[in-house]
This record gives sequence, C-alpha cells and structure tokens, in this order.
Amino acid sequence: MMPALVCALWISLAASLYLVLSRDTLRCVIGLGLMGNAVNLLLLASGRLQYTQPAIVPPGESALTLAANPLPQALVLTAIVIGFALLCFSLVVVMAIAERSGKDDLLLLRYTEPKDTASVAPPFLEEEKETPWQP
Amino acid sequence: MRFCLITVPFLALVALLTLFAGNGPQLPLIFVSQWVPALGVQFAWRIDGLSVLMLFMITGVGSAVFMYANGYMRGNPQRMRMLVLLTLFMVAMVLCVCADDLIVLFLSWEATSILSFLLVGFQYEKKTARKSAQQALLITGGGGLFLLIGFLLLAQQGDSFSLSSLVRSLPDLPRTPQLYAAMGLILIGTFTKSAQFPFHFWLPNAMAAPTPVSAYLHSATMVKLGIYLLARFDAGLDCSHGWQLCLQTIGSITAAWGMVLVLKERDLKRILAWSTVATLGTLVAFVGLPGQHAAFAVVALLLAHALYKAPLFFVAGNIDKGVGTRIIDHLSGLGRAMPWTAIAALLAGISMAGLPFSLGHVTKGLIGLAKETTTVLSIVPMANLIFNAIAVGVATVAAVRVFWWHPVKTDAPGTAQEGSFSMVTPPLVLAGCGIMCGIFPQSLKPLMDQAVQAMLQQGTLDFLPLQAVTDFDFPLLLMVLTLGAIFFFLWDVLHRIVDVVVNPLIKRIGAAAFYARSLAALPGLAAGFTRRIQHGRLPGYLATILIFCTLILGYLLWQARPYIQQPPLSLNGSAWLAWGAVILIATGAITAAMVKSRLTMVLAATLVGYGSALLFLFAGAPDVALTQFVVDTVFVIVVAAVLLTLTKISPAAVPEPGWRPGAFVLALTFATLITLLLMATVSQPFSSEIPDWFSAQSVPTAHGRNVVNVILVDFRAFDTLGEITVVLLSLVAALAVLGKSRGLELSLPHSHQQNNTSATASIVVEVAARYLYPLMIAVSLFMLFRGHNEPGGGFIGGLLAATASILWAIAKDVPASWQRMPLQTPLTLSATGLALAAFSGVPGWCAGKEYLTHLWFDLPLGWTTLPLSTTLLFDLGVYLCVWGAVGGYALHLLAGDEPAENLVVERSAT
Repeated sequence: MMPALVCALWISLAASLYLVLSRDTLRCVIGLGLMGNAVNLLLLASGRLQYTQPAIVPPGESALTLAANPLPQALVLTAIVIGFALLCFSLVVVMAIAERSGKDDLLLLRYTEPKDTASVAPPFLEEEKETPWQP
Repeated sequence: MRFCLITVPFLALVALLTLFAGNGPQLPLIFVSQWVPALGVQFAWRIDGLSVLMLFMITGVGSAVFMYANGYMRGNPQRMRMLVLLTLFMVAMVLCVCADDLIVLFLSWEATSILSFLLVGFQYEKKTARKSAQQALLITGGGGLFLLIGFLLLAQQGDSFSLSSLVRSLPDLPRTPQLYAAMGLILIGTFTKSAQFPFHFWLPNAMAAPTPVSAYLHSATMVKLGIYLLARFDAGLDCSHGWQLCLQTIGSITAAWGMVLVLKERDLKRILAWSTVATLGTLVAFVGLPGQHAAFAVVALLLAHALYKAPLFFVAGNIDKGVGTRIIDHLSGLGRAMPWTAIAALLAGISMAGLPFSLGHVTKGLIGLAKETTTVLSIVPMANLIFNAIAVGVATVAAVRVFWWHPVKTDAPGTAQEGSFSMVTPPLVLAGCGIMCGIFPQSLKPLMDQAVQAMLQQGTLDFLPLQAVTDFDFPLLLMVLTLGAIFFFLWDVLHRIVDVVVNPLIKRIGAAAFYARSLAALPGLAAGFTRRIQHGRLPGYLATILIFCTLILGYLLWQARPYIQQPPLSLNGSAWLAWGAVILIATGAITAAMVKSRLTMVLAATLVGYGSALLFLFAGAPDVALTQFVVDTVFVIVVAAVLLTLTKISPAAVPEPGWRPGAFVLALTFATLITLLLMATVSQPFSSEIPDWFSAQSVPTAHGRNVVNVILVDFRAFDTLGEITVVLLSLVAALAVLGKSRGLELSLPHSHQQNNTSATASIVVEVAARYLYPLMIAVSLFMLFRGHNEPGGGFIGGLLAATASILWAIAKDVPASWQRMPLQTPLTLSATGLALAAFSGVPGWCAGKEYLTHLWFDLPLGWTTLPLSTTLLFDLGVYLCVWGAVGGYALHLLAGDEPAENLVVERSAT
C-alpha cells in the first residue's frame, strides 16, 4: 500500500506544482487544489498504512484491533473540507480579478496599486513592449 | 543653570586633583555590579593610571572648552543646547575610559559617536554641517559595528567580558582564526574612531562644527578614544609581531599622508585638523612599538597634543569671530589687534614645534628615545621625520605668519577684534600649562608613571628618563629652526605643488572620493535591487519560494540520507486495487498538467480527486473517501461555472507555451524531495500510543463505534468547531468580494417565475431532479444520524445536502434552489449551524465539566431506550454549517453566469 501512495503523492504533487507555476490564474488555482489533495495523501501515509481495516469498532466489542490509524483520517477529513472552502474562495477571487481588470494572465497583473511616481519604484510594465518572463 | 553646567568639568577636575594628587587611593580602583548574569555582562568599572590620564585630559580640556563655549556662543540662542550636548559628551567619555566591561565600553563608545554627530551637525541649517555630521556618524558608527562584532568574538575566545582580564589573558590565548578576526575587527573599529588611513577623511570635514566642539572632540578627547583602546590592548599584545607590524604601518602612513595633505588646505581649522590626523597616526605607530620608552612617548604625546592643539583651535575660533574669516591668505599682522590670542598661539606653537621649555620638546625627546631603543620598522622614522618637519611649519604658520610677519605681501584684514575674557583665557591657560609642564616635567612624573604602568602591566619599571630628554640638544634645535624657516618662507610654494600634484589624484582615487561614490551609488543599487526582486509577477514569486524551499529541504534530506528507505512492496489483494487507483491519479495528474483546454484540465483534476478517494477507501478510510467523493463532485460543478464566467470575460486563452522546462524541473525536484521526506519519515519506528488511546476510549466514554467521527465530534470537538468557523468566515469574505463586483446581495428571489429563459440543462435532468432532490436530502440526513457508529457524519451529510442544492440549481435555476434551502440565505443557514454546534457544548459546561463535553442520556421509548446526546446537536450544527457554506459558494458561483436581471435587484432588510 505504501509504495502506491508514494507514487501517487509524487505524481500528483509534481503535476500540481507545474500547474501552480503557470501563467493562467485558473490553472494556478486548480494547481493549488491538487496540491492540497497531494498533501492529504502525504498526511494519511505518514500515519502508517499497515492495516487497511476501517477504524470502526465491530458491534459487541469495546476497542479496535488491527485497524487503520484513525487520527490522520480525522485530520485529513478536516483538511479536505477546509481546503475546499479555501479553493472556492480562491475561485471567487479569480472571478473578481477577471471582472475588475478584464484579464486573467498573471504576468500582466503586476500592479495592485496606482502607478508610483517615486524614483525607486519598479518600472511600470508597458503592455506591448516587454516580453514577460516566466519560469 | 548655565553657570552650573559650565562649572561641571572644572569641579570634576578639582575632584580628580584632590583625589589623586598626593596620597590618594591605591590604583586601580574597581567597582563591579551585576547587569546581565546570564550573558556574563557586568557593570564593571576600573580606574587605573591610563584612565586617570584620560580623565585629566577630559576634565581639564573640558573646563577650558566649556568656558570658551560660553563666550563663543554669547548671543546665540542655541548656547544652552551646546552646553548640554557637551556635558553629555563629557559624561560619555568618562564612562568610556573607566569602563572595564566590553559591553559598557561599547555603549559609551557609540554614545560618543552619536553625540559627535549631534555636535558636528549643530548648525543643522547648513548643508555642509549636515553632510559632515552624516559622514562622521556613518564612518565612526560603522566602525562601532565592527568593534562590537570584534568584542563579541573576543569575549567568546577569552570566555569573559571583562576588559582587564581579557587583556591579561591575551598572550596565552590560542591563536585561532577567530582571535585574529576579533583583533582585526577591533582594529578597524579603533581606526575609524581615530581617523587612521583609510578612514581619515571624516575628521577635516568635521571642522564644520563650531570651534569649541572641534577643540574638545576632534582634537583632545574623542579621537583619542581609539588610541586609548589600542593602548589598553597593548598590554597584552605588545610582543606580538602582527600587532606591531599593523599598527606601525597604518600609523606611519597616516602620519605622513596627513601631514602632506596639510599643505593643500587654506582654511586654518582644516590645517589643524589634518595635523591632528597626523598626530593620531604617530600615536598609533608608537603604540605599536614594543617596550616602555614607546609607552612613555605615547603618554607624553597624548598629553602634549591636547595641551597645544586645543589652544590652537581656540585661537582659530577667536580669529573667526574677530576677523570673520579663517582663510590664511587673508590673515596677516593680527598681533597688534589681538595680542592675547597671539601670545596663546605663540606658546602653543612653541610646544607644537618642539622647541625647548615646552612639553612638546619633552615629547620629542621621548619619541627620539623610543625610536632608538626599540626594534622598529624603517617606515616609522621616515614618517616621523615628515611629521616633525611639517608640524614645525604648521606651528609657524599659526603662530607667526598669521599674527606677526607674513613673508608675502597680502591684504591685511580691515578690522580685527580681540576675543572676550572667556574666549582668551582658556587658550592662554592651556598653552601655559604646556609650557610649565615642559619646564617642570617632574610634576607630571607620577601621572605618566602610573599611565605607563597601566599600559604595560608591569610591576616596576625604570622611571621617566627625565635627564635624557631635558638636556639641551643644540644640533636638533638648529635643525628645527631651519626647518621652521624653510616652511615659513616656502609654504605657498609647497601648497601650490601639493594642490597641483596631489589634489587631482585624491579627487579620483582617494578614500573620500570612494566614500562619496559609494554613498551616491547606494540609492541606485537599492532601486535596481528592488526592481529585480519585487517584479510583481506572481509565478516568479512562487518560483522563488519553491527554489528556496527546495534548497533547504534538499540540504536537510542530504543530512538525513541514511533514513530514506524504500517502503516494502506487498502484493496482496488490496495492494492491486491501490495500484489501480494510482493509475487513475497518474492519468488525471499528467493530463491536467499538459492539456491546453481548460475544461479538460478541470475534468482531469477531478479524476485525480476521485482516484485519491479510491485510494483512501482502499487504505481503510471510508469516511475520508466519502468526503473526497462528494467534494470532488461539487468541485467540478463549481469550477465549470467559474470557467464559463471567465471565458465570457476574457475569451482569448492565455498565451502560455505548452512546455515550460523551468517549471517542470522545479516541480519535479520539489515533489521528489517531499516524497523522499515521506519515505524518511515512514522508515522510523511509530509509536501508536495516541491512536491506541482513542481506539480504546471510543466506545466506553464516547459511546461511538466510528472512531474517526468520535475523534471529530467528541475528543477533538473544539478543532471541528474552529474548522466550521473557518469555512463560514471564508464564505463571508467571499461574499464581501463578490458583493463589491456585483454590488448587491442575493436575497429572496421574486423573479424566479421567469426562469424559463435561463438555460436549463435538459428536461430529463429537470424531471429527475424533482425526485432526486428529496432522496438526496434523505440520504444526507441518514449519513448524519448514522455517523457515530458507521461511516458517515456531519461533514458528509452536509456535503451531500449541498450537492442536492446544486442539482436543483442546475435543474431549475439558482434562485429556485436558493429558496429551497432552509432559513432564507445560505449564510444564515451556515451561521445557524455554527451557533448550534457551539451551543451543544454548553450543557456539558453547565454540568460542571469542560466546554464541549458531550452528555448522554437514554430516552425511554417503551420497549427500548433511545440514546440521545449533545453529540447529535453538534453534528447537526456541522451539517447545517457545511450545507450552508458549500451550498452558498456553489450557488453564488453558479449564479455568476446568469444575467444580472434574473437575480433580485432589491435590497431587502433581512
């Protein structure tokens, strides 16, 4: 079970990071969601996966024997729900950005404030001239 | 008040004299009290011979300066401020020379730097004053920083913060690189303070200060602090070759170079300042000479210089006040108009030139003796020669040329006014002291003996060789007079030579030019740095964060190499299933990363979610699997709705290359490191104490067989309460963001009758939804109630109910689904759920237990009893909260692509 989980973690984390570094806002947010997913796998795996019996006490008995570790499951359940709420919030923010600025390209959304006239402010991007750098 | 301040140093001087002249207390006086015991830092004070010498200089010259300042600043409204600052400075100096603890010494050192800054920039309206003050502070303050680091390193090496014990143990300390670094840093600190090469250029610029300040700080006391510290360390390092080499070299270079630069100045104060630099250089060089004769020379020169330089500065101040200018081209024949000043200048000049019957002469003799009797680098006598020669020249210019006879005919100034009593007395007294001490050097013997003893830390030594230095040395005297005459007549010629030859060189590659260029380049550097680092591109920032994390994590994992082990491969039934789920995850992940169409990416991401859910299921986590399934279903719907809205707003796809090698490499590296981290973690032994406790207590105390759910709603109910609070808060924040861009709040719809124009999916979905909706709500409630003993619970129930609401929104439209949700708005529903969950902990509180301790009681139902508890209330609260929050999100985002007319435009007061 563990090697499978290790592989799943590796692939999903790599894909999610690749998406997070993207230029498109939606891709970035989806990557974030996938990253949360990958970290949930990590959390569950670190609680050790020796036993795959669900952590439910059979009726009539009073304690678990040889079942999966319940504690990381509780944590991951919490994490899934909160992660989803935050993902929804990120989507709302993406939509708000798109509505207000008309763009969803992260390399063109460089300024959150009006243009600064101080002498040491970063240069204002002239839309057509500069070729945006991207990792 | 002013009178009190003026007399402070004089009173201190009197106190010193009464204490130490005659049979005073035995030196050294020591006083120690605790300050920071944990760090070994104490309030340690130690007054020994060297301290007493410095104290005499500080209070003696201080008395003169205070009196002079009072007269100099007459009529100036800032007079009180000057006196206060001077008093503070004097206190700081006294603390510095009496301190025995490195930290106390450092603090008073920095205090003198700051007070010097305030005093140099006294006339802050003038730009030159401000710039000079800034330069002085930057250089001496920067040196202070090096000094602190050196002190800390030294304290670490010597295992103590006490200066005296460190110096005593210095010869025996092992010569580690840290010790060399410490001494090097301390040397830099002292060189900046005492204006040695290459930090020498701040001192002449500090002449922008008023004359009393220049006389006190920058000739007699503050700049001597560096010499004082070097003299302290000399006790331990006298025999060290590196010490001797370094000090002699730097000191000689400073002495020679400073004196050469004297010739290029025309301002009298700047001439005196450069000669001070040269004297400091000589002092440093002679501290570097081993043996007691050199120590006597240092002590004598310290005293003599204070006694002749301060009067000369007072003279310059008197000329400035009386004539209005300090440029020596315009000064000649002032002797008649300013007789007392002229006499003071003459006496001081005699001492400076080293003519007989002056302390300067005694000093010259001692210096000569030191040069002969110790091993010395050849650079030192050469520099000393230049120093002596030009010093005679400076003395003749200041004493003779300005006041009596100018060799070249110049325009004499119109009116010259003699200074007042308080401006004329101090230079006369100080210069007179210099002459008296030269005639009766025995009077200084106890003072100098004690000082040299403190410098060399030896018990008995040959006393001051007075005989040798007070003999008349005719050839020397003749040489001095000849040199004086040469400089007297050739001053202007030499000045022109230096001006033409040296000045352009300095302006390009001098230390001052370097400083100016660095300071000017600083804003440009900062701007460039900011432009490169704060470029405003989010992918760039994310990449920077990831790279740093990769480097740190990589380093740590490299250290933890032995722990990374491959997890054992097992091939039983559930392992095969797990690999199947992994294939789904892999397919989804790779497709999501590589595909161009955004819709396909979303679907592939959902596939990853479903694959993970299967993986959770096979790993024995059914609750988690259920939650993941439902969350992913809601996810795909919500993201698809957002995608639709985004496409409407910006239809053009973002021009991104399909293959980004940099991101690929970075992502792969980081993912590999995290995976290795997991493998390292899992290979360690696992203590199952906590899970075992939960498993054992679940049924007896919490009456639940589903251990996961019991943990969530019972054992760690407070965490869950916090979690649903977070979910609710995120909804509130999202509403705030959405409200701004749409400007309204969604309330009860009354336009849902006209929903036929909105896009409904299909008639099949609409009809099926009519039956599916109540079924889904029923299932969600079933999940809620069974959660305590079987897989299920509030979260899953709430998510299923939210899915039902979404289904209704797709089948009909958003306002219809909105209305069907209980309690008017999703926000209200969510808040009610939170309140219910929070309230469910109160009964336990009232029963005397902790908040959120759940109470159980059995409800008799005739043939059986129904166990009820506050757990159900809590879970119900969670259910409602999650339904409201997730449903709210989904409905708002789904409404995003509906035309605004279909939504309510009324602001109802809900």
